Amino acid sequence: MLRPATRPALVATRQVRQCAARFFSSPVSPDTSSSHVHSPSTTPETNPAPPPPNSRSSTSSSKGKKPLTAEQRAFLSSALRVNQAGELAATLIYTGQTPPLVTRDPSLRPLMKHMYDQEAAHLRTFNDLIYRHRVRPTALYPLWSVMATGLGWGTAMLGKEAAMACTEAVETEIGGHYNAQIRKLLEMVSEWEAEGYEVGAEFRHLINTLRRIRDEELEHLDHAVEHDAQKAEPHWLLTGVIRAGCRGAIWVSERV
Amino acid sequence: MMRPSSISLRRPARQILFSSVSTIRAAAPVPTTATHRSLSTSTSTGSGCPCANGSRRPQVKQTQELQQQQQQRQQRQHRNAYHSYDHPSSSAAFTPVEESILSAAYQHVPSHGFTPSALAAGARDAGYLDISPTILPEGAFALIRYHLVKQREELAPRVSELFGGEGHVGARPGLSEWEIRGRVEAVTWERLSANAQVIGRWQEALAIMAQPSYVPPSLKELALLSDEILFLAGDSSVDPSWYTKRASLSTIYAAAELFMTNDHSPEFMDTRAFLNRRLREVNEVGGVFRNLREWVGFTATAGVNVLRSKGVRI
Amino acid sequence: MVARPALRRAIPSSRTLLHAESRILRSSFSTTLQSQQKPNNNNNSVPEYAIPDPARPTHFGFETVTEAEKRERVAGVFTSVAESYDRMNDLMSFGWHRVWKDHFVASLNPGFSPLTSSSDPRAPQHILDIAGGTGDIAFRMLHTAHILNGNPDVRVTISDINPAMLSVGKQRSASLPASQQAALSFLEANAEDLTQTKPLGANQVGYSPTTGVPDESVDLYTVAFGIRNFSNIPAALREAYRVLKPGGVFACLEFSKADKHPLFNTIYKQWSFSAIPLIGQLVAGDRDSYQYLVESIERFPSQEDFRDMIVDAGFVVGGQGYEDLTGGVAAIHKGMKPRRK
Repeated sequence: MLRPATRPALVATRQVRQCAARFFSSPVSPDTSSSHVHSPSTTPETNPAPPPPNSRSSTSSSKGKKPLTAEQRAFLSSALRVNQAGELAATLIYTGQTPPLVTRDPSLRPLMKHMYDQEAAHLRTFNDLIYRHRVRPTALYPLWSVMATGLGWGTAMLGKEAAMACTEAVETEIGGHYNAQIRKLLEMVSEWEAEGYEVGAEFRHLINTLRRIRDEELEHLDHAVEHDAQKAEPHWLLTGVIRAGCRGAIWVSERV
Repeated sequence: MMRPSSISLRRPARQILFSSVSTIRAAAPVPTTATHRSLSTSTSTGSGCPCANGSRRPQVKQTQELQQQQQQRQQRQHRNAYHSYDHPSSSAAFTPVEESILSAAYQHVPSHGFTPSALAAGARDAGYLDISPTILPEGAFALIRYHLVKQREELAPRVSELFGGEGHVGARPGLSEWEIRGRVEAVTWERLSANAQVIGRWQEALAIMAQPSYVPPSLKELALLSDEILFLAGDSSVDPSWYTKRASLSTIYAAAELFMTNDHSPEFMDTRAFLNRRLREVNEVGGVFRNLREWVGFTATAGVNVLRSKGVRI
Repeated sequence: MVARPALRRAIPSSRTLLHAESRILRSSFSTTLQSQQKPNNNNNSVPEYAIPDPARPTHFGFETVTEAEKRERVAGVFTSVAESYDRMNDLMSFGWHRVWKDHFVASLNPGFSPLTSSSDPRAPQHILDIAGGTGDIAFRMLHTAHILNGNPDVRVTISDINPAMLSVGKQRSASLPASQQAALSFLEANAEDLTQTKPLGANQVGYSPTTGVPDESVDLYTVAFGIRNFSNIPAALREAYRVLKPGGVFACLEFSKADKHPLFNTIYKQWSFSAIPLIGQLVAGDRDSYQYLVESIERFPSQEDFRDMIVDAGFVVGGQGYEDLTGGVAAIHKGMKPRRK
């Protein structure tokens, strides 16, 4: 109920759904409408069309659009920056994982390619957003590149289960992270609406993009769990360490 | 004629004397949102006075004007953040009063230079008193910052004219590296040409900008300018080259500006040639580094692949 | 030091005198308030807190007193420390107040005029130095204007609520060049209501006892280390707004908050709260006055709060509206009265 199953063949186990629900249901839960907004057929857009400069939404309210406050701009900057860094890391993790995994189990090739392609599309999306909204990219780009490649390759060398546990851990963190951002954006939007301001197409588009990407990340989580992520030994240690690492990396890239 | 020069000599001495104060201030901008914190701590250290803030310091009524001014102040601190097209933040770097004094004073720069004299003359033109410009906290530097900010802001419309009316928003996707280089050169030249009016006074201005307390804001303006130039030129790289490109462009721009102050060739042809040479050099050096990186990457991948083909499980 | 016993003997009489005087002032408020209410603010109405009310509670150091009581007790403090006032500032600022004052005056650059083609570009300026009893700021202003900027058309009015402080300044002004003495006048007035003034001595220019300071007559209004002693700061700010010409500048130098630098602040607080009253007792034999001085600094609003009060009174500020000196131990606030629209 949280997200549409885009690939019915890959419906996750009940256990995972519970796990996902635990992580992603918020007390406020402003996001239950995501399935309406998100059309299941959406394929990763590479270049979301920039909103025409003079687009005016047809809402009747006359107050116009409220300028972003300094605080909101700071939030959006760090959100886009950390998302770009995260997607960069994700593509590199899969890049690092694929060769060792596929050599051992060639049947994983289409799955890995599918996940990699989606992550690459996400990265393109955020690269574009970062450029268009003139946000400074993370200064630790080379560091994240090296660390992510190392993490992907390293876990793949430990075996398929470890690689999948890595995916599970990373996508859990990233999913929760996207959810927090969406919640904050929705709060901004509802605040504007409550005050009678218009909400620009730019924002609706951004929220929808984030929702779509979050859903795809959760799909990866399902895949990972299906492919024996939880059989990794020691699962708690592996996921714990990786998740802590993710949180640290998110904290850092929000700032640097 | 002796009078103003003696003043301009006195002022830098004061600036240096107070530079430590000003740099401390520049280094630790206090968010205006934390306005009431200090007051509440002060009351808590005091004896248990029941009347607290309310009576002695009446709650300042949040007039709309006050809020606006506060917001502007905040925006000025976060100028390099998320740029929204639908919900643009007010980009005013100066309050209306500052704007009216400075824009009038700017007209006097070619004759008076970036001096208190130009400010006072501008204040008179704008219908204020000789004393009025003293509310500008940076004094003559405010006039320099005005020049920098205005010329940067005017770059976008001029460039969009230059490139045939295309909107500057996001430029066109899929510009080749080579095209972008040409555009960077064109936009940088466009900005340099905007100095022509005040070029006779620009060495003085550079001297003021080099004073310790004005170095941080000057560098910030330079960074904003190179960011603007690269954005307008359509450079969409968001990897580490984002930093290197901005750094090298800033250096080149500063050098070209300095070169221009001594350039007496018609239409500053020499400066343009200088700019072209510097940009080409950077591209060559950058190209060498890029080639080196690609070569290392290729060799590493090839090496890994060879090992894999030999059955090494990596 | 010799003068101190004499002064201390004189205190009781001057106190009772002040007491009587403040009563007169108080009774005159009812008549002056109406005239004061209309033009001061662009919002067209003076908020209730900006109208002086002798009965309203306010701070006297960490004590709570009424506005009228504060006025009297402040008068008491300054009457008793008038002679040693400079020493007091030296203690509070480690001697830096001289540098601050120099910087304050230099940043205002009084008497400066642009070079224009007209025959005499120098414009006359009228500077009103409020709470400037000892003349520290006024003398510096005259020096900058007359000598550095070569503009003899700058005159300074020193205003203080306290005649003891004024007479100190008057004595000191005797050592000034005659041209500067001629440009100087002394005024005994309450900064919250400049419509009622009393010239001191014979050296007044342009003020008869009844007129007070007229609307829009002042180019520069300065108050250095004085405004924290006012009973009603918003009222004083509005009065400043009234007397300033459009384009005129309000400039205030005052002790402020150094809390941007926690370590420095701790040391500074320690110094001011434990050492200064003690030194006051030892050096000047007057612990209470020095205790008040320290507490009144602590009570004064932060830089941002005071800036907001200035804006609230109708002024516009440039940049962030204030400049910290020595890490915020003191701060300069400036505001300009905007042009009429």
